Amino acid sequence: MKRKVLSVLLCGVLAVSMLAGCGSKSGDVVTNTDTEDAAENAAEDGSSATDTETAADSDMAYVVDKGTLVVGITDFEPMDYKDENGDWVGFDADMAKAFAESLGVDVEFVEIDWDNKVLELDGKSIDCVWNGMTLTDEVTSSMECTGAYLNNAQVVVVPKNVADKYQDTDSLADLSFAVEAGSAGEAEVSALGLNYTPVKAQSDALLEVASGTSDAAVIDSLMAAAMIGEGTSYADLTYTVALNSEKYGVGFRKGSDLAAVLDEFFVNAMADGSMQACAEQYGVQAALVQE
Amino acid sequence: MAILEVEHVSKTFDKTEVLKDISFSLEKGDVVSIIGSSGSGKTTFLRCLNFLEHPDTGVIRVNGETLFDAADPQTRQESEIRKKRLHFGLVFQSFNLFPQYTALGNVMLAKELLAKEQPDYKARKKEIHAEIEEEAKGLLTQMGLADRMNNYPHQLSGGQCQRVAIARALALKPDILCFDEPTSALDPELTGEVLKVIKELADQKTTMIIVTHEMAFARDVASQVIFMDDGRILEKGTPAEVFEHTKEERTRQFLSRFTQG
Amino acid sequence: MAQMPIVIGALNSGFLQTLRLFFITLIGAVPLGLLIAFGSMSKFRPLSMLSKFIVWIIRGTPLMIQLLIIFYFPGLVLHKQIWGGGETGRFLAASISFIINYACYFSEIYRGGIQSVPVGQEEAGLVLGMTKTQIFFKVKLMQMIKRIVPPMSNEIITLVKDTSLARIIALQEIIWAGQAFMKGSQGIAGEIWPLFFTAVYYLIFNGVLTVLLERLERKLDYFR
Repeated sequence: MKRKVLSVLLCGVLAVSMLAGCGSKSGDVVTNTDTEDAAENAAEDGSSATDTETAADSDMAYVVDKGTLVVGITDFEPMDYKDENGDWVGFDADMAKAFAESLGVDVEFVEIDWDNKVLELDGKSIDCVWNGMTLTDEVTSSMECTGAYLNNAQVVVVPKNVADKYQDTDSLADLSFAVEAGSAGEAEVSALGLNYTPVKAQSDALLEVASGTSDAAVIDSLMAAAMIGEGTSYADLTYTVALNSEKYGVGFRKGSDLAAVLDEFFVNAMADGSMQACAEQYGVQAALVQE
Repeated sequence: MAILEVEHVSKTFDKTEVLKDISFSLEKGDVVSIIGSSGSGKTTFLRCLNFLEHPDTGVIRVNGETLFDAADPQTRQESEIRKKRLHFGLVFQSFNLFPQYTALGNVMLAKELLAKEQPDYKARKKEIHAEIEEEAKGLLTQMGLADRMNNYPHQLSGGQCQRVAIARALALKPDILCFDEPTSALDPELTGEVLKVIKELADQKTTMIIVTHEMAFARDVASQVIFMDDGRILEKGTPAEVFEHTKEERTRQFLSRFTQG
Repeated sequence: MAQMPIVIGALNSGFLQTLRLFFITLIGAVPLGLLIAFGSMSKFRPLSMLSKFIVWIIRGTPLMIQLLIIFYFPGLVLHKQIWGGGETGRFLAASISFIINYACYFSEIYRGGIQSVPVGQEEAGLVLGMTKTQIFFKVKLMQMIKRIVPPMSNEIITLVKDTSLARIIALQEIIWAGQAFMKGSQGIAGEIWPLFFTAVYYLIFNGVLTVLLERLERKLDYFR
């Protein structure tokens, strides 16, 4: 029963995505620089492409129609986090605000359970996942993703006093790892055939190492920079080997036309320098994907 | 005129005929003891009189008014039956006092709820309450419980509980007071105080039907004795007739067990 | 510690959410449970079957799954997110899941309580000319309450802790608030202690509840 519902759902999403895809492409051709116009055109083209489908079948039109872009995030410095006034800021948060503005809609940030991100998208409780999300095969196959906008790496976290012993991949063989379930880190350790325990969050993985229940953890380098070392609860931890470099992207509902619109927005923001300025504000300018 | 007339009452539970064509009548002031072995239908008969069970056939009349007629569906409605129950009072073997009320509260509760149905209740609320309380205190004093009125049932002995239950039944001034083995759940040394109270009621010419295993008491207090066996009234008469000039062999067998034991 | 006021502030607002969920669940589930209890004791078979079926489903599946289904299913299947994605929507969905779940547990406790009142109590009321309604409210209810207070106390204490399950649909209750500082929030990152500190909130609140419920139990001790 559930499978049937899902497959019907999937067909619907696919159909919409094909239509929406056509629409946004033709929209891009018409107006290359103004994304807001592109959006409107996309919606119009979407509806005119077939007589039976309505404008609401375009994800873009859906968002514009309800007037709010709901952005699914987790509290993740420096990408999305709360400032002292309790407002969401960060490199991703600020870019999301700018993107919403370009669409002419309000932006709403909602904290989600990272495990449920696809569920949240498909269940329409959020419109995109914009939270330093690593573009893995799993992510790109279950969401409509933008191109990469930020570089990241998965790094191995170990206690400082043993860090010397673990400076290359080969030295990791007999360690027990804690990794966030479904994260890029998990993909890495399982590809290397290492011994690991999946935990709920990257922060839980750190807790495992700190409490000694696991020997090492694998987390994002951006996060590692913010969370471990002097001045944190994890003063005794450090990171050593970078297992793989990877890239961050923004995810939308499968088949959404918004991914292409956002790609366009990123290109423009890079061109006018606003993206670099925003990245500098949060210290991630070195990681920006240059194209 | 008879205060109670019962005609051709029968009752079947799941194909077992518990009461078979019971007929009898009762005069005002009569005290009837019903004796018989367990399962002879005595308790079911009392429950039918109080409409806790509905007879399958038969008629029950009180003071000439037909309270129940199995052939007349109108008399079987729950709303009709409620008021008719008040002609009868029932004292249970296991007391069934309301544990969350004091002795006094147990005696007053039903009367107070009934009083609320009176049209002038709102205007005379305080007055009515005082009357009910006065009566209830009088009844408990009569039962020898003047100093126990504010105790809860769990603070009272079995005999005291049963006397509260009798006062509770009397508070509604029933025409006929029924007792379902009132001393069977009591320790032997406590039965006396309950039987004494019932005896006093008999002396005051209270109309009563008493199902009991206390043969000596039945003989002493009753004006009429009924022996029931297998759902039938087998023998009926004055205590002297039933106990000394027993007609039926079955009755003799039953009585001999009691005199021996 | 400079972090203390920030952390405590965040935990307080998380705990406020926990308390809101707790009280709304109680307010909704206590009467709804009674309805379900009456439903399952009904002589009208379809109603009693339906009530028992619902109770079976709800008690037979984890609350966590019920939360996921109630929050995500409308959007997934009906293509219409009825709750809205914001915090209000999540709180509403969590409240409804908790109310239904706890009403089913309460209904079983009520049913046990009602059925444990001896049949003689009802008969005594009937022969005294009382109506069924009067018998329920004046005679049976108090005895039933006395019997259900201890098992209800257990469920209520469990409910306090169960509210933490709502974080599966990202309701930001106290444990969520405590965990946020592990990943980094409001300038504090990599702090473990706030998560463990949430236990203090649960302990204190449950302590207060236990005292209140015991006092209620003692108040009902005047009869047996």
